[in-house]
Amino acid sequence: MSSRTNSPAGPVAWAFWIRSLGEVTRVRGALVGTSIAPLVFLLGTSGQFGRLSGLPGFPTDSYLSWIIPLCCLQGAGFAGAAAGANLARDIEQGWFDRLLVAPVARPLLILGPVLGAITRAMVPVTLVLVVGLLIGGELTGGPLGILALYVASVGFCTVAAMWGIAMAVIFRTQQAGPLMQMGVFLGVFLSTAYTPQLLLKGWLEDVARFNPVSHVLELGRQATVSGIDVSLAHTWPGLVALAGMIAFFGALAMVGLRRMGR
Amino acid sequence: MASRSSSSHPAVAVRGLERAFKGGIKAVDGLDLEVPEGEIYGFLGPNGAGKTTTVRILVTLLRPTGGEARVAGHDVVSDADAVRRNIGVALQEAAIDPLMSGVELLRMQGALHGMRGSEARGRATELLERVGLTDAGGRRVGQYSGGMRRRLDLAMALVHRPKVLFLDEPTTGLDPTSRNALWREVRGLNDDGTTVFLTTQYLEEAEQLADRVGIIAGGSLVAEGTPAELKSRVGEPTLHVDLAEGADVPAARRALSTVGPLVDCADDARVAIRAARGKATVPDAIRALDDAGIAVESVEVVSPTLDDVFAAVTGSTLEGAGGGAADGETAGVGA
Amino acid sequence: MIAAAARESRVVGALGRRALTLQFRRAQLLMPTFVLPLFLLAVIASGTSAGRDLRDFPEVSSYLGFVVAGTLLQGALLAGLTAGIAMASDIEGGFFDRLLAAPVRRTSLVLGRLAGTLGLAVLQMAWFLTVALIFGASYPGGVLGAVGAAILAALTAVGIGGLAIAIAIRTGSMNLMQSIFPFVFVLLFTAPAFFPRDLLTPTLHDIAAYNPLTYVVEGARGLLQDDASLGDPWLGLAAAVGLAAFATGLAVLALRDRARRT
Repeated sequence: MSSRTNSPAGPVAWAFWIRSLGEVTRVRGALVGTSIAPLVFLLGTSGQFGRLSGLPGFPTDSYLSWIIPLCCLQGAGFAGAAAGANLARDIEQGWFDRLLVAPVARPLLILGPVLGAITRAMVPVTLVLVVGLLIGGELTGGPLGILALYVASVGFCTVAAMWGIAMAVIFRTQQAGPLMQMGVFLGVFLSTAYTPQLLLKGWLEDVARFNPVSHVLELGRQATVSGIDVSLAHTWPGLVALAGMIAFFGALAMVGLRRMGR
Repeated sequence: MASRSSSSHPAVAVRGLERAFKGGIKAVDGLDLEVPEGEIYGFLGPNGAGKTTTVRILVTLLRPTGGEARVAGHDVVSDADAVRRNIGVALQEAAIDPLMSGVELLRMQGALHGMRGSEARGRATELLERVGLTDAGGRRVGQYSGGMRRRLDLAMALVHRPKVLFLDEPTTGLDPTSRNALWREVRGLNDDGTTVFLTTQYLEEAEQLADRVGIIAGGSLVAEGTPAELKSRVGEPTLHVDLAEGADVPAARRALSTVGPLVDCADDARVAIRAARGKATVPDAIRALDDAGIAVESVEVVSPTLDDVFAAVTGSTLEGAGGGAADGETAGVGA
Repeated sequence: MIAAAARESRVVGALGRRALTLQFRRAQLLMPTFVLPLFLLAVIASGTSAGRDLRDFPEVSSYLGFVVAGTLLQGALLAGLTAGIAMASDIEGGFFDRLLAAPVRRTSLVLGRLAGTLGLAVLQMAWFLTVALIFGASYPGGVLGAVGAAILAALTAVGIGGLAIAIAIRTGSMNLMQSIFPFVFVLLFTAPAFFPRDLLTPTLHDIAAYNPLTYVVEGARGLLQDDASLGDPWLGLAAAVGLAAFATGLAVLALRDRARRT
């Protein structure tokens, strides 16, 4: 008997999730790029620019604490972009065709890799946070601050994954990999990445003001930056920014997916 | 899951199907074909003829730009989900994630088709046994041979017991043993009631497996019928007689002309006649030559092959084409 | 003797040209070598320019002109790494066996690859310095200073290329070469690439003294800014040449070992 309904979403999402976890456990070095890079960046940037926290107007005297949420977002973002790269590989190798001919609701084809990316992102985010705190970062926001940091990381990973997936379904080649990473790179660093808005100068001052990632960083910085206390005022702009970006890039990915057979 | 009950609609019905790409190039141009339930349909065509485009449309991977196509009674555009639920697909190059094991892939495929965990596990075990991969099921597919990958690919396409199975060049690159094993499996599936839509570049494969064959060229169907029908359209079998050394050739020609019309032959020591009755012509020919006292070295009946059919309707031959003549004798005479 | 030397130099030239040509035919290699360092330059120059307000920051004509020395260093690191990746690709693809079977000296195979790296690095440095100039960097050291800085960085690229090639020859793995990408940044961040050495955190300040790239970047900075107090060019040259000679030796040894094993 034929059915007009698709397969139930739960088991399908579960199957996709399990498969994407395989990338972590079985691909040698799969986590190196996404885990070691933000850690190196954390140590390097805090060492290079540590004195910046001495500038008037800096909301903390610990530059390491300022930079920890940035590196968490960087790790989460690159884990998200990797979902796009993996999907492009699946498309090139024909595996994705197999998924496309299955009676599965189309959004699940995107949701699966996103869930996998979020899971993988937990490794670099946690690693950066733990190492950052161990080498002198301050945990000023308590459990609620940590929750805010993880929400920011998960949300940004979702945004990056949707961006990566959109690029994958539009270009359908692994050659689009650098584009996916560059999008995350620009999103993260054209923000209040290194210094607060107050201390930014030139073109970046304007770009960072309008870059929604600045608000996501503010959401995450409630965990470690003493001058950004845990409050609704520092939370809702980040949540709104995440919701907007997820809606935009999610729609872009869905449009790209629907155009695949045209 | 797809049920196996018979219904009134054909397994595949295509009317005026078109698919144009950028620049206006039509890969499929007004294609009509119909495959009844329970048939193995061989879809032949040279590279670029439009067969892969057609298959991708039929399995909902590509939208047609004109005409209509229905699979298992469902429109491939407006009712794509229902089509997907009723088809199994093994595409070219066995696209399988090399990092997953056979068991994992089959269970995932089960989940994609809405099976519960225990049901998918049971089906995976059953299918691995069916395709002879029980021992290799736990190993990563990256370690499989080409033949094993193809068999696993077939098993994945069968997880949900599809009504219509699409096999896109399933044996390309396989050694003869693996190819024979896969053919046996396809025949077995068809015996169980599955309709098989098979694209292939191997004429022998089409001859061995297909109930009917469709030949596509330039995006449309140029010939269709059972292999025997198609071959009979190209011409009759020919009987070739190699004479013993010193035999009287003109006398042999006279004797054989009483059995069938003579056919021009390049070799002076060989005489050929049309043999409408195939092998049944051989005793008459031997008798006529014996009565004329002419010694014979060998006799063979050469039947037209699908390759001849293909050459006649498309003006080209298929790469890797091979094929035994229907009667089992040497092939190779052009139509 | 002279004929043999001429023959080997033709081999080196041919291999160098091939290495350079392939670099431009692989789009995925162009992104890290020509684009990524400029993005990082843009965000660092804008994001950390408030650092000039720090009390101990030296007087420089432009912050961008100060930071660009770090970009030259980063370009050198990435050019060197891509040499290793290309070598691993040749090994995996079997092309390197063809080279090993040819009647040429082992040293020429290494030097040929490094000649390509040198050519690539020269192009990179000219590109970085020009783009930075267009966007407002000033080089008080003039053309000679810029050329000198580019030479220091290009020699460093040869040194890093030698190290990467040695690893590639010993492992023969593209995957491994790609996964050491983040570690390139360890070398970058343990040198005063973007900030004066005296303003680094105390730990990093101490570590930087042992990183030869410290002297390269400071030397380049001294040349670009025409200010010996920012760095000694001769010390930079000694570090770059020393690294190049040492790394080339390592690569030749690795190749001899491989040839003996196979």
